[in-house]
Amino acid sequence: MARQPVWDLPVRLFHWTLAGLILFSWWSVHNDHTDWHIWSGCAILTLLIFRLLWGFVGSSTARFSSFVRGPRAIAGYWRGKWRGIGHNPVGALSVLALLAAVAVQVGLGLFSEDEDGLYMGPLAQLVSVDASDKARGLHETWFNVILALIALHLVAILYYRARGRKLTLPMITGRADVSSGTEPMRPGKWWVALICLAIGIGVTRWIIAGAPPFGP
Amino acid sequence: MRFVGFAAAGAALLVAGCGDWKSGQANSGQGNISNESRVPETANSSALTPANNMMLLAAAPPKDQALRIMHERHEAMEGLGKAMKTLHRELDSAKPDIKVVRAQTSTMAATAAKIPSLFPAGTGPDVGKTRAKPEIWKQKDLFLRRSKEYLTAARAIDAAAKAGDLKKVMALHENVDKACKACHDPFRAPEH
Repeated sequence: MARQPVWDLPVRLFHWTLAGLILFSWWSVHNDHTDWHIWSGCAILTLLIFRLLWGFVGSSTARFSSFVRGPRAIAGYWRGKWRGIGHNPVGALSVLALLAAVAVQVGLGLFSEDEDGLYMGPLAQLVSVDASDKARGLHETWFNVILALIALHLVAILYYRARGRKLTLPMITGRADVSSGTEPMRPGKWWVALICLAIGIGVTRWIIAGAPPFGP
Repeated sequence: MRFVGFAAAGAALLVAGCGDWKSGQANSGQGNISNESRVPETANSSALTPANNMMLLAAAPPKDQALRIMHERHEAMEGLGKAMKTLHRELDSAKPDIKVVRAQTSTMAATAAKIPSLFPAGTGPDVGKTRAKPEIWKQKDLFLRRSKEYLTAARAIDAAAKAGDLKKVMALHENVDKACKACHDPFRAPEH
């Protein structure tokens, strides 16, 4: 056993910023700060785009190709056959579900408007008042899906903790005890991460401007 | 060391990503408008007619009547919300149609005038399903002042729309939004 890197800095920053922004989004919209809520959603959109790109060009444990596995690998994991670092084949399902659920939530938010007509999501102008109201209704309902997935995520962490594996500390420090002989993490390049972030910000700003050629 | 550079560059990019998300959204700072745009007060522009005040202070109506008023209130507020949304969209569009704008501001001004009479005592959450908070009747002076401020803002924007002054309508729009929020934040309970 040896302490080795398992999560790179971009993955860890993504994880904790996303967690913080989800909490902030929830708090702000329930405390009459819908404008902050919209900002927070735009920041989450930037994060999602970044993570998607980093999932193709990032470090080995960040790449979808390393952790998205088929049913055979998942069954193998249950039988204790999995040896590796990063997301295990079952955890990968949770990662994908969380990313997809948050993406749906952001998508609905973009087209929503508040019930008083004071705030509009950046793309609400592209659809009718009724469609926008419907999007807000779904946006509110869909949050329960996100809550359920977060609960599952936390329960899984407690489950592993009870079986002697600490998952939270590695997501902070980036390092974990890894049995010898495991293939080490191949880090990504920091300037590639910055390019991914720049693309995320660029696309988000384009959407904030009102999309197509900046408006309906 | 590399982490420091990474974090610094990342932070710089994030700062670059922050800017005004949309000019014309309700969060753009326009502090001065409220003063210069207040419509001079005439006897007519006041919602606090004795009759309205009486309504709010009056003894509780019987339950069936209370429920009827609450339903009427709900419909009126929903209509007001719809007018606000339609107005926001129209003003944000490339070519706002003054006729559409006028229809909304006239609904807003008419509904605003009715607000005090829609909240008589005995129409709170203890009587039926409503998001009206008990604070409305505990702090009725503040509530009436806020509803009057909304009425003033709604009448001002309606006057500008009737005069066909789209620029002024745009300038006054934020006032209306603020007055709406100023009353909802303390006096309306969240959904569900």
